[in-house]
Parts: sequence; C-alpha cells; structure tokens
Amino acid sequence: MGQFRNVVVIEKNYLIQAGLEAIISELPGMVFQKACMGSEKNLAHLLIKQNPDVVIVNPFSLDQPVAVFLNTLNEHISPLIFGLMDKSAPENMKSPFANLLFFSDNKLEIQKKIRNVCEPVSDEQDKKQVLSKREATILKEVVLGLTNQEIADKLFLSVHTVTTHRKNINKKLGIKTVSGLTVYALMNQLVSMDEMENKG
Amino acid sequence: MLIDQKMKMADVVLHDPTLVPVINRFGIHLGFGDQTIEEICKTHGLHVQFFVITLNAFHDKLYFPTEQLQSFKASLLIDYLQKAHRYFLEDKTPEIADLIERTLREDDVNKTTYGLIKKFFNEYREEFAKHIEREDQIIFPYVLKLEKALEAGTAEEQLLHKIQTHPIVEYEAEHEDVEAKIFDLKNIIIRYLPTPNNDALWYQILREIFTLEKELAEHARIEDLILIPKVEAMEKAIKGGN
Repeated sequence: MGQFRNVVVIEKNYLIQAGLEAIISELPGMVFQKACMGSEKNLAHLLIKQNPDVVIVNPFSLDQPVAVFLNTLNEHISPLIFGLMDKSAPENMKSPFANLLFFSDNKLEIQKKIRNVCEPVSDEQDKKQVLSKREATILKEVVLGLTNQEIADKLFLSVHTVTTHRKNINKKLGIKTVSGLTVYALMNQLVSMDEMENKG
Repeated sequence: MLIDQKMKMADVVLHDPTLVPVINRFGIHLGFGDQTIEEICKTHGLHVQFFVITLNAFHDKLYFPTEQLQSFKASLLIDYLQKAHRYFLEDKTPEIADLIERTLREDDVNKTTYGLIKKFFNEYREEFAKHIEREDQIIFPYVLKLEKALEAGTAEEQLLHKIQTHPIVEYEAEHEDVEAKIFDLKNIIIRYLPTPNNDALWYQILREIFTLEKELAEHARIEDLILIPKVEAMEKAIKGGN
C-alpha cells in the first residue's frame, strides 16, 4: 500500500467517531477507512479482512474483553493499535495498549501521537518496493496454484516464513488476490503462459 | 449532511450528484422541479422513510440508521437490492468490459497485457455474478419467507431450522473477495499497466472502475446497515414467538 495508511476507529460514540475522522483526514497519507460501533458481530474478523494499518479502539465500546479482541487481531494482522479512553480510566484498561489517545487530548496532541508512531516505518518500507529473488520465486509458486504448505516443502522453508513472504509480496505490489498476482506475474514474465496452462 | 423528507429533491442532488443512480433505481428521474422528497415519494408511491434511509446510507459513510428500520417491509428493501444487482450486472460491468474491449482494438496496445486485464475482469464478472445469484436465489427468498411467517404469525419447521443453522449473520462477510479483486485491478492499472496512446480511453476505464468500487461499497453498506439488522430482528421475533 506504499505510504498511505488506512485507519479504522472503533468507538460507539458518534461525536467521537466523527471528530477522529476530521482529525485523521488532516494528516498526510492517512485515510479514514471505517468507523465501527464495537458491538458488531465478528468485529475482529471484519477488521482482519479490511486489514487496516492503524486501529484506534475504545475498549469500553467493545462488547468483548479487550484482550480477546486484540489477540484475535494480532494472530492475523499487525496494525498499529491505539487505545482510546478517558485519562482517568483504570490501569488495567490502559495496559493492553502501547499507545494511548485520551478524550482530553487536544487536536495537536492527537495528531502528534499518531504521526510519531506511524511515520518512521513508512520511509524505510517505501525504499524497497521491488520483489526480492526469494519473493519472486514464492510469487511464481503461488500463481501456479501451490498452497503455503506445498511451497514450504518445496523450498525447505517453514510455513510461517512463506506466510510472511506472501504478506510482504501483497504489501509491496498492492495486490491481494491470486488472480491479481497472476496478472502481475505474467505481465512481468515471472511465469510464462505455457507454465500457467500446464499447471493442471 | 443528513437528508430528510422535507428537503427539496433538487437541492439534495445538487449537493451530491452521485445519488442520481440511486434515485433512478426507485423510478425517479431528473426534472423534479421544486418538489420535496416527501412529495416525490407520494407521487411515485414510495415509502418515504425507506427512501430517506437509503439516500443517507449512500450519502454519508458514518450514517447509522436506528429506530426506523421496522417501519417498512423487507420486501421493499429486497426489491430495491435486486434492482441494484441488475444495474451492476446489466449496466455497469458490461460498460467496463466494453471499454477494455475497445482498448484492445487500439493499434498501439500490447495485446498480451491487455488480454490479461480482459481475462481478469471477466473472471471478476463471473465471480460477481455468482455472488449476486446466491443472494437473489438463497438469501432474498429466505428474507421474504421470514416476513411471510411473521405476517401469518406462524413459521414452518423448515424455516425455524434454517434460522438456527444459517442465520443471516453468516452471510455478512461475503462481499470481501469481490471487493479485493476490484482493489487489485485498480492497482495493476495504475502501477503496472503501460498506458496506451489513447489516454482518454484509459482514464475512462480507471474512472469507471473507481465508480464501480464506490457504488459497490455503498451497496454493501445498505446490506450491512439496513438488511442485516432488519433480518436479525425478524429472526429474533420468530424465534421468540414460537
């Protein structure tokens, strides 16, 4: 996705949702993707599919324990997570979060907090948008229809490593689906039409 | 801005012209003079609240309808959603396919590369059509049955069983893959596709894809914000009533 960062806000209070949208929209490269109430069924899975870069969550809006919610998220995606609450919230509500936004923060404080956490990463990531040799090899196998397990066996890697490579490929190319990756691979001759037709 | 029934239709469209296809789907066409939304609904025999909720859901992505969901029949909503489906299948996607076809006929384009885009888009269309067919043939009839059962005050065993085993929430996550493909198509076109000499045609394809994506997201929002909560309430009422 390059420099742009998608932000999801989970907060049942509409005024706060809308306020955060306004503040986030003023930051360069930050895109307000979605506001959730916190009571949605399958909220964690909804977010996993959306795969936002930043999640701002008010733990009091969730209708499930915050630890359960964060664990489910972190198993699948790795967004930057901000807790959103009153400054006087109890310590056990604050401790699950590495970053906190408070209702009493002014606009500049909120923007500064978000930028501080979000910016250093983007520079480094943008420099290497080209696929590494390993990634190109894995892309080819994906396009030819192999599962992560099969790729791991073939290249003597762990499934976990293959998954990480695949995530990086998706990020670098900005393409998520296998058919999209196929178009890219064919356009760039990473795989030939003949190979595609013989994949069985 | 929240749209309400006392507003003039013309003012609303001047404020947000992307509502035009939505309004058309209700059988309303431009040229409404000075009429308010309420008056137009009356002449067209439309349910005012349903119309206003739908406009708002399209207009504002933070909009969240609350209490009025029970004020109109589910069949009204289904009728609207089916019209939207036909719009996507019969107008929108063929339009884009046609544009891609026209690009392929240009002399200077790389036939292999654009052939891949064409193939990709056709796959997308098939998948999208399947997704829509599933809604049309499984989900919508289910919703209509729920409404009938509620009106009759009694539900068949089969329907009760289905409420238990396949409640509407299970369908919620279905849109995602179709959306991911459109996202990829945009990226491929913008990042990797060599531009043909005919810039205007190329730009038109891109613009149409963005419009399609936006309209689909809005459509999904109608289903998530209006259809699903409404059906959930119906499921609950039937379960409670038996």
